[in-house]
Amino acid sequence: MLRLRFHGRGGQGAKVASRVLGSAAFLDGYNAQDFPLYGAERRGAPITAFTRISRDDILERGLVSQPDVVVVMDETLLSDPQSTPLSGLKKGGVVFVNTPLTPLETKEEYGIEDHVITLDITKISLDMIGKPVLSSLAAAVAAKVAGIGEKALRDALEKELSGIISERELLDRNTEAAIYCYNAVVPISIETTEKFREKENVISIPFETALVSSPSILSKGNTPLRRTGNWRIFRPVWDYDACTKCMTCVARCPEGCIQLNEDGYPYTDYANCKGCLICAEECPVGAISKVRESHSQTEEEDQ
Amino acid sequence: MAKEMLTGNAAAAWGVRLAEVDYIPAYPITPQTEIIETIAKWISDGEMDAGFVTMDSEHSMVTAAGAASATGARTFTTTSSQGLMYGFEMLFTVAGWRVPLVMVNVSRGLSAPITLGPDHNDILALRDTGFLQIHCETCQEVLDSVLMAYRLAEDDRVLLPLMVNMDGFFLSFTREAVEVPDVEKVRSFLPEYQPEHAFFRAGQPMAQGVAVLGGEFYSYFKYQMHLASQNALEVYREVSDDFERIFGRKYGTIDEYMMEDAEYVLVMTNSFSTLGKAAVKRARENGIKAGLLRPRFLRPFPEADIRNALKGKKAVAVIDQNISVGKGGIIYSEMASCLYNENSRPLMLSFIGGLGGKNISQEEFDLIFEKMIHAEDSGIVGLPHLLYTKKEWEGIKKLKEIAGRQ
Repeated sequence: MLRLRFHGRGGQGAKVASRVLGSAAFLDGYNAQDFPLYGAERRGAPITAFTRISRDDILERGLVSQPDVVVVMDETLLSDPQSTPLSGLKKGGVVFVNTPLTPLETKEEYGIEDHVITLDITKISLDMIGKPVLSSLAAAVAAKVAGIGEKALRDALEKELSGIISERELLDRNTEAAIYCYNAVVPISIETTEKFREKENVISIPFETALVSSPSILSKGNTPLRRTGNWRIFRPVWDYDACTKCMTCVARCPEGCIQLNEDGYPYTDYANCKGCLICAEECPVGAISKVRESHSQTEEEDQ
Repeated sequence: MAKEMLTGNAAAAWGVRLAEVDYIPAYPITPQTEIIETIAKWISDGEMDAGFVTMDSEHSMVTAAGAASATGARTFTTTSSQGLMYGFEMLFTVAGWRVPLVMVNVSRGLSAPITLGPDHNDILALRDTGFLQIHCETCQEVLDSVLMAYRLAEDDRVLLPLMVNMDGFFLSFTREAVEVPDVEKVRSFLPEYQPEHAFFRAGQPMAQGVAVLGGEFYSYFKYQMHLASQNALEVYREVSDDFERIFGRKYGTIDEYMMEDAEYVLVMTNSFSTLGKAAVKRARENGIKAGLLRPRFLRPFPEADIRNALKGKKAVAVIDQNISVGKGGIIYSEMASCLYNENSRPLMLSFIGGLGGKNISQEEFDLIFEKMIHAEDSGIVGLPHLLYTKKEWEGIKKLKEIAGRQ
């Protein structure tokens, strides 16, 4: 059985990618199962989705903790402690990373020892589809890695996307971009061995008084510790020559991230700005531009 | 019709569409919402002909569904967890009306603490209402069970509402290949509902669900519900035989996996049974004669089939994905009462596992088989056990630290 795990951010299309792959495998004659996992649905938050592909009956359910293939749709997730996309990856497994970096650079940058494939599918998506929606592209890459045929992939894209995309032309552009990615990835054979799995110890849990064991939080001020700046695909950048200090962006920011500097010009808190770009949409003089994030910014860089 | 990849939720929606349901009062709740979204879209696109009304709450929703069922309309509704609890009062009422309403419950742990993952305290809280209950392991089974549910509930010998249950996320959001039957075939299995006992017609006045003062009257009506529920086991045999003849898939009141020569038996319900089956296969590879028994019906409780399946077994481990606080596993108690009067009965062990969707690891299954074998060798059955791992304990310790609880 081949077990694949997709890591993306809410809105990027990890769930649809796992479905397109599931359908493609099914149409190619395999048993397949796909399943997304997300908590409270929230755009930009890390999500995972899974596809199992097998010639035999699939006697598994729920999340894949030991994948053969990991598809990282958002590079920033590699350094997000909430996500840890490489956990449990089997020996001999494959990591696909959506990045402009080469496989070698990616391995060095993130200290990955496993087989790495890279392709800048965000760029391909922006160039060919016109927006950073990665579902069909990530599915195509995964289908190639999983050895699924091109016809099954095309049929799966048609089946899965026609339910969510009403414009024929947009659907065709998705398929075209997906097939481009499918052909851009060199097929490799995956021969995984189960990684040494730490044996679980089953225990009995003791009684603890309700002062300890009731579900309430006594400590204060946790929320500011959770940075959301690495959710951005684009960052807003101000052109102070064009800015009229009208403060529309300050008023419209849903996160309260935008403040004024000593000279009265707006700036944002990049550690927490989620990149929704409502500021850029609302700016009456077009003084805010969208700049693609290529990797997560550290807090020091942001200041 | 060919197979396609469907979630458990989509499979439920297909069951409703193919049953050609007349009326659906609805209220959304995760992880059920996809069912009513799917149905609402079909109705809006003209692919399904039914009345669809979004209600103000689950309490109104169950009331509307029961009332519609009492007019003779084939009615469906669905909810989950907190929503089921909010409509709880009306479940007893609707069952007492003796109407064949079919509902789907998508299991989710009950607050507090609030969560999204599945366990069965929500559906099992219903066990005394009069609703029949079918619990499903696969997406195909969800679709098929909705169809069988209407046949069974609408039978004159039964006429009780029925709840089809599936696990939230682990089935409701999991896609697998499902055969969507042809509507003509479904019609030959499930003809149009012809209500003879509960209906409202202009010019034919009647009062339904009236008050009775006096325990002797009340007892009569309640016990009739019990007898009708017991009848359902016999009627289900016919339903299940017809279903197999027409669709080629066989569903008993219980599902038996590698049970024939099994000595050590896991008892599980719903989607986690798949993990149990994998554990049985692994145990067999290690020379343990393992098997799995999965009750599909919990109301009525298929006592005879269970007794028969467990004849001559050495030990049985019930894994309850629920907890009756102050007692333990609900299904364990029910299994024990069902076997108590048998002359020769297996030892019975109790485990609580999978609460709120907690994983059941290989080692936890290993421990269960170990404890069963040890009980058989020593004649001593250990205490009920909550399945929990050291790693999970470390996780809860960390959570408590963050919350300032230590």
